[in-house]
Amino acid sequence: MGNGEIINEGSQPEVEKLHRILRNLLIIIISILVTLSLIIFILFIVPVLQETTSGHKTEITNNQEFKQDASYKKKISLMTRDIQLLSRKYSAYTSGQSYIVINTTDNRFFLYRNKKLIREGFCSSGSYTMLQTEGDKKWIFKTPKGKYWIHGKTTNPVWKKPDWAFVEEGLPIPSKDDFSRYEYGVLGDYALAIGDGYLIHGTIYKRFLGMPVTHGCVRLNDEDLEIIFNTLSIGSKVYIF
Amino acid sequence: METEIINNTSGIKKTFIILIIIFSVFIFYYAIMSMMSPARKLSAINNEFSVKPAENTLVDERIFSDSAYLKLLKEKAFLQSRIVMAETDSIYLTINLTDSTANIEISGVVVHKAKMSSVQTSKILIKGDENIILSMLSSPFTISNAYATIRKEPVMIKMAPKDTTEYKPDIMPDTSIVEPVNYILEMTNGTRIYVYQEEKEKFSDRMNLFIFNIKDRLRDTWSSLKSVALLKVPEYHPFIKMRLPRADAKIIYRAIPRYGQVGIYR
Repeated sequence: MGNGEIINEGSQPEVEKLHRILRNLLIIIISILVTLSLIIFILFIVPVLQETTSGHKTEITNNQEFKQDASYKKKISLMTRDIQLLSRKYSAYTSGQSYIVINTTDNRFFLYRNKKLIREGFCSSGSYTMLQTEGDKKWIFKTPKGKYWIHGKTTNPVWKKPDWAFVEEGLPIPSKDDFSRYEYGVLGDYALAIGDGYLIHGTIYKRFLGMPVTHGCVRLNDEDLEIIFNTLSIGSKVYIF
Repeated sequence: METEIINNTSGIKKTFIILIIIFSVFIFYYAIMSMMSPARKLSAINNEFSVKPAENTLVDERIFSDSAYLKLLKEKAFLQSRIVMAETDSIYLTINLTDSTANIEISGVVVHKAKMSSVQTSKILIKGDENIILSMLSSPFTISNAYATIRKEPVMIKMAPKDTTEYKPDIMPDTSIVEPVNYILEMTNGTRIYVYQEEKEKFSDRMNLFIFNIKDRLRDTWSSLKSVALLKVPEYHPFIKMRLPRADAKIIYRAIPRYGQVGIYR
């Protein structure tokens, strides 16, 4: 009997302890669930509820009787004329001449003549490398994007190396007209200038075509370059994106 | 001693219950305020773009709901918006919700076409008054901000060699790395364009999209909570959500200028 009393006295606090642990665990689980529900409510349910709010939708009609009305006909004809004028204005933006489109993300080109695609292929554009010296000098090698035009065309172009070409190779920068600045045969057979020193030219690194590896110019293979050179004239548009 | 413990416990309970009540009321208030925000945005759009016919021109109001007239109005609005953009000489994006295409254009020339596999539009842009919404769409939207999983300009910094011994020729760039492409273009008028890559073949792609979405929702909720705490109706952002092939999504994001323009045909 005495032993039994001892057992009872000892198990009572243990049961209470277990009860307390379970209660705390339950509170923690409920708290987590409530918090999660609130997060889901705020992040996901509220935006869905927002979308249920509707505005006043125009009830579209097709009244044949009204369509015979003179004022209706006049309004529609005015609107049609406006659209025709706007369409004509918009179409005029697209050059009827030859132009080239260069996609610098995929490194591809598309050549058009009379608004029809006549050739497409790979090219290389700016590498997005930023060359930095220990001093403060910086050059970023990217192909400019937007609308350009052919400023000049050259056969057998000679590359006049800019300062970065020497800095990049760890060479001292020579004077402006030093003979070491002139390099022959590296730009291919033709070059088309698009302004600000950027060129569309050939390359000796043909395995890099389709990749962003240049210092900002657009490189093409020999066959494509020849066709582009013969198709585009000075003033032809170059669209780079 | 026991009474003290009981008192403390009941005190904590009371505080806990009061906090829960306050919190629940706030959440309820937040939900109500958030639900009010689309209506407020719609009324702001209505005030800004409602077309009032001149008093001397007698227009039969039935024309504003006529199907043929609305079709022409749509064409006109889109052309007006494209002309404004074409005149800037910059690269711009045109979204055609009717035929599910997203094009890049420069000065009126379509330089890239992309087909959306799915598109979802905010109800405000569908259910609003046709004439008002089309009046809004007749001007291009301007991008004010962007959030993306890819960089706009993937610039790599290269230190110049000190001399020729340090010079290493460029190696072939690694084109095997395929980053997930998801981004949000936020417009100055509050509209958001969500572009998600179509491909979800890898677990990492799904995870990346989930994290990207959660970040966006958290950003939005935080800004809404701040407004609600200041007793203001939070700002509602009408949206267009589209799925595009990864390559197209990337081309568009990299091509469009940071503060570029977007024209929408609905």
